[in-house]
Amino acid sequence: MAAAKRKRRRRRDASTEPGPGPPKSSVRPGSRAPDLRRVFLVPLVLTLGLLLLSLAPRVADNARLTFAFLAAVAGLMVWQGVLFARLSRARASRGFRVVLRPQHYLQALVQLTVFAVWGWYWRPVYDFAGLLLAQLIFAYAFDMLLAWSRGERYVLGFGPFPIIFSTNLFLWFTDDWFYLQFLMVAAGFLGKAFVQWRREGRRTHIFNPSAFSLGLFSLVLIATGTSDLTWGQDIATTLTFVPAIYLLLFGLGLVVMYFFRVTLVSGFAAAALFGLSALYGAATGVPYFIDSEIPAAVFLGLHLLVTDPSTSPRTRTGKAIFGALYGAGVFGLFWFLEAVGAPTFYDKLLCVPLLNLSVPLIDRFVRSLQSRARIRRLTEARWAMANLVHMAVWTTFFAAMTATGRTDGPHRGDMLPFWQEACEEGRAGACDRLVQIEASYCADNAGWACNELGAHYVEGRIVEPDAELALGFFARACEAQFQAGCVNLLDPSVVSRAPPRALDLRLLLRQGGLNLIDMSEPALYERACSHGWAFACERLGMEVQ
Amino acid sequence: MRLLAAFAAAGLILVGVWLDYRNQTARGAPGALESDGIAPASAEFATPSSELTGYRADLGQLLDALLLGFVEIPGGPFLMGSDPAIDTLAYDVERWSADRPQGVVDVPAFLIGRSEVTVAQLAAFVEATGHETDPQALAAPPLHPVSFVSWPDALAYCRWLEELLRESPATPTELRALLAEGWRVTLPSEAQWEKAARGGDGRIFPWGNELRRDRANFATGRPAPVGEVACPECVHGLSDMSGNVWEWTRSPWQPYPYDEADDREGLEGDPLWVMRGGSFADPVRNVRAAIRGAAGPDVRREFIGFRVVIAP
Repeated sequence: MAAAKRKRRRRRDASTEPGPGPPKSSVRPGSRAPDLRRVFLVPLVLTLGLLLLSLAPRVADNARLTFAFLAAVAGLMVWQGVLFARLSRARASRGFRVVLRPQHYLQALVQLTVFAVWGWYWRPVYDFAGLLLAQLIFAYAFDMLLAWSRGERYVLGFGPFPIIFSTNLFLWFTDDWFYLQFLMVAAGFLGKAFVQWRREGRRTHIFNPSAFSLGLFSLVLIATGTSDLTWGQDIATTLTFVPAIYLLLFGLGLVVMYFFRVTLVSGFAAAALFGLSALYGAATGVPYFIDSEIPAAVFLGLHLLVTDPSTSPRTRTGKAIFGALYGAGVFGLFWFLEAVGAPTFYDKLLCVPLLNLSVPLIDRFVRSLQSRARIRRLTEARWAMANLVHMAVWTTFFAAMTATGRTDGPHRGDMLPFWQEACEEGRAGACDRLVQIEASYCADNAGWACNELGAHYVEGRIVEPDAELALGFFARACEAQFQAGCVNLLDPSVVSRAPPRALDLRLLLRQGGLNLIDMSEPALYERACSHGWAFACERLGMEVQ
Repeated sequence: MRLLAAFAAAGLILVGVWLDYRNQTARGAPGALESDGIAPASAEFATPSSELTGYRADLGQLLDALLLGFVEIPGGPFLMGSDPAIDTLAYDVERWSADRPQGVVDVPAFLIGRSEVTVAQLAAFVEATGHETDPQALAAPPLHPVSFVSWPDALAYCRWLEELLRESPATPTELRALLAEGWRVTLPSEAQWEKAARGGDGRIFPWGNELRRDRANFATGRPAPVGEVACPECVHGLSDMSGNVWEWTRSPWQPYPYDEADDREGLEGDPLWVMRGGSFADPVRNVRAAIRGAAGPDVRREFIGFRVVIAP
């Protein structure tokens, strides 16, 4: 039986390469071995490139990061060694087929632009460039060896670029856990190669490769409560450091929409999110998301994560439903994650694989809709079919949202005094959100926020009283040189409060991406006043805005 | 078969990651301090259960002596601050007011630790609570005064010690009674510290008014084990009130005249907390009983430690 299997494999190795290329019969047996050696030079060079990158100071200075690189190098070496031996024995050949697909290089360029601008305002992105390059090298070598192991010719192009960029726009592991990043990349390619179904007469992968690995790893990180092994939270929040980030993402999104006709996906996702957020705001008096009607990272997701044409519906109605479901999914997941106490930045990641799975259902639903003549006339009308028309509608919608302050610019959810007031007034979820926002600022060492949290846990009005937690927050406030925190730490039976210092305001008011580190104190207090901080207005002799 | 192998491989990877995670978290994930190049704490010194002769392993490595090494300072008035006419090394900040060089402060009775808190004592606290501290705080030999502790670290230690003394059946009856009356384990106030250091006669150094290099560890460049420098003339028999390490107090930095209040009105300035006694790195001027130093609460230095009081 084993012999039969080997025989079958040899036969497949020798005859089942898809795509153009010299017919197998034209290759003389004696000429195959040197070809194979030349072909295997490519993954070997890539692996050596990865090894070379492990000598970079950031990698060399961290034993665990070095281990991650060496483990990746070792894995690739063993794999290509075994594969080379096997193919040599079978006298099989492998090769490349160069295919440069616009959806790969255009997406990659758009993503690279996001990295470039984001990194300008948040330095860790540029510092990460070497590790991004390492992932790209690893991805090419891994994908190549995977294709050859499956008896296929490797399609050489820019395919790995959008997968790696897309993954890294949403999740990186910290240096100490970077081997998980390599595993995540590997999982994406394995999912693409093995988790497939037949769609419209051809086998194709079910999941968007980056969304598959992101979804899988997100689930594990949530279930094990280990999100702190990643930069996920920072990635989700630091995009807003870029001034006019929504405008930038919108502009880049138009490029993708124009070339790949995904306007309906992004547009309906955005419309669903804007609509649901507006409904929630109208019903409760508080915004649903904190920094915008759509968080910047979600806005990025609906342009660059969910828009993979090969894992979304092909019909226009299907795309619209797909987009709307993404918007609704993110909205629901945000609520769910918040309710279970998990980090909410996973909201945009988790629903993509589920949506990919629902594509046949959406297609079937659309077919059933189109069997009704009137609906078919509507969905297939010439005006509705034009992508440019869709883009024009989306542009108008985005312009309206921007004009009404729903995208870039100040947002009431970003203003702490708003949440303090809403909490005092007992508006739905406002106190929880206040505590959540203060916790986030406390984690950034805003002493004022830590002291407020400590006070909440002593007073027990908006959270369950917890003396230990309170002392922890007072200690943190004190270490951040916030004197009220120190006196509270000394005697928590009497809670003292004080307004934020300039140092705290530089953190509390950074919404919109302005660099407040060098902002003069008068300008800082003016900004604080415009954000509703009454003490700042008093100091300036101004009215609270 | 292939599917099975794939699942097995995935399972193995998951188990490996899980074991690595457990290992890392048990050891304490590599943190900022380690990555800054500060040496991790020595396991040898961080183990409080190790036998130290003359210390109580069951009571946080406190001294195995009457009242666990706490010494009673009787209540009553004492002279606080410096008179430059007597103490020519005095700093201006030690002057009581424009009119008077010194003031009289009435301090109720309290207990104070005979020695500065040791590395072994802090290690017992860290082991019992998991309190995160600078690894350097635990890196010195066990009987050295603890250093590299912030003001909140010192207060956290005091809270833990109070809980330990309240709950442990081994706590001496007298201490238990005081705690039951509402006495607290905390840092000394400036007045408590100064009274304990110079007694009621206003002496310049804990041993008297004469400069003596053999009575305190100062200007030597390195800390010494607590109580190593004998000082039979020192008031109340306390060790290292001068030199060895500066000692945190619970008093915020305020100009004299001294006010017992904790300054809840002035919360908007930069916080500074008073430390007393000077250190091994200081000249003689800084190890006088009236010396006043101050540091931000987050400061952790080789020359700053603390001792505790049990006070009403």
